[in-house]
Amino acid sequence: MNYFKLYFVYLKRSFITRLEYKKDTIISILSFIFGNASAILSIYFILNSIPSLKGWNMYQLGFLYGFSMMPVSLDHLFADDLWNVAYNKVKSGELDRMFLRPVPVLFQVIAETFQLEGLGELIVGIIMISLCGGHIGINWTFPIILLLIVATIFGALIITELKILTSSFAFIFKKSGPLVQMVYNCVSFTNYPLKIFPKVVQVILTFIIPFALFISLPIESILFDTYSPYMLSGIIILFALVFGVISLLVWKACINHYESSGS
Amino acid sequence: MFKRYRPFFKAGMMDMLAYKFNLYTWLLVSSLQVACLVFLWLGVYQSSLEGINSIINGFNYKEMLVYIVFINIFNFVTLDENTLWTIDIEVHDGTIAMSFVKPISYRLRMLFTTFGAFATRVLVIGIPLFIISYGIFYGIGFIVIKSALDLILHLILFIISQMCSLILYDTFSYIFGILCFYTTSSFGLNQLMNVVLKFFSGSLIPISFFPGIMKDICYYLPFAGISQNPILILINKASYIESLKYIGLSLIWIILLNLIAKLLFYTASKKVTVQGG
Repeated sequence: MNYFKLYFVYLKRSFITRLEYKKDTIISILSFIFGNASAILSIYFILNSIPSLKGWNMYQLGFLYGFSMMPVSLDHLFADDLWNVAYNKVKSGELDRMFLRPVPVLFQVIAETFQLEGLGELIVGIIMISLCGGHIGINWTFPIILLLIVATIFGALIITELKILTSSFAFIFKKSGPLVQMVYNCVSFTNYPLKIFPKVVQVILTFIIPFALFISLPIESILFDTYSPYMLSGIIILFALVFGVISLLVWKACINHYESSGS
Repeated sequence: MFKRYRPFFKAGMMDMLAYKFNLYTWLLVSSLQVACLVFLWLGVYQSSLEGINSIINGFNYKEMLVYIVFINIFNFVTLDENTLWTIDIEVHDGTIAMSFVKPISYRLRMLFTTFGAFATRVLVIGIPLFIISYGIFYGIGFIVIKSALDLILHLILFIISQMCSLILYDTFSYIFGILCFYTTSSFGLNQLMNVVLKFFSGSLIPISFFPGIMKDICYYLPFAGISQNPILILINKASYIESLKYIGLSLIWIILLNLIAKLLFYTASKKVTVQGG
């Protein structure tokens, strides 16, 4: 079975579904852009009244915010249907049909939606990075670009893996949406410098729910030279692998508990 | 008139009660968000020129933390987009057609359902949470009570303005719900409504942080009455005259927006596309 071919079939179908509601899709993308723009504006207005936030100026904060949207948007584009698994697909028994097909359920879930809203975030993110990065005068050397690419791709992978891990529990408890939401929402902590949080929160965000590892630390390293880009890239990849193995094992263990809710 | 809509009030109440557990889990989720904001603002005040005790745009750090906590509690209790979802569902499954023949107002039906749901949320979450947080803030000196009379008057004004907030938000929810007639899907409209309201209502940052002309405009828009103004009244950052002004403004907007909603419903109902049903 050629999974790439199959994925494109799914992709096409997903596009057609969204085009059915063309106006709504456009409004939705716009609202994602507006939502992020308003968050950025809020930071800007706050920074108008203080010299810097713990040593971070406006452009550095913008750079951080812009970059935080990159892995988030990739996950949003490719793996948004996990939310539905966690919230309602197990409960409603909609997952039944997926078990009947000769393709892994996880693949079908991932392939199910291509969430166009992610494009809005991706665009705003790239604009923010290039605008703020230009203003700060970042020296775009090879290690820096490598670090950003690794952090984006493997960061997105870690987000998706966290979502797989937490939504697995829906197979046992029928619903695990709030748990997914709680873990996922921690990403908003990385919109601000890690330094403003207490030590214990910093440790959790770096090692346990490691959003800071692939958002805050790379940006800190680029702006303030804290860690070597190569080392950090390696650690991010390592974490993505470890989390990948764990999340797949948990998914496999939990999916055996699936029983149709029968309605 | 109230009698005719009492069943809807009750239904809203019961519906919300059935999802009590959901409410508590959501509360847990949003408390993380609030924690993040608290750390952010502490960081902001620590980084300011005059140190932690400086006053930024009329707020000292104690007032700001109280503001952030209360605005999140009352947004949680008051803002309920159920009207939008209901309209969307009824457009989809065709039951909206029934509302054209029934001798009750669609708008009032929605409003009373919202009131019912609100009553449950106030009892289950609003009051306990408010008493606990108010007590804690008072205990650690973040809230100063001038006199018992002053407290009671501010509480009364707060309750009135919070009711205005409920009706205002429900009206927006209704208007965006009717717009679903045109888009035949509510996902995007719901997103749009929430991001716009969140920003302009002062839920992200108080409107006094907005620059010059934008601030002046936002004071007169209906959004501030949804989140910011009730909280300013509650935490004693609005004088009596200001409080009455806020409430008056909200009332004017309630009337205006409901007239717009009526007009919109009238035009949209001629265009409604029912999918099946």
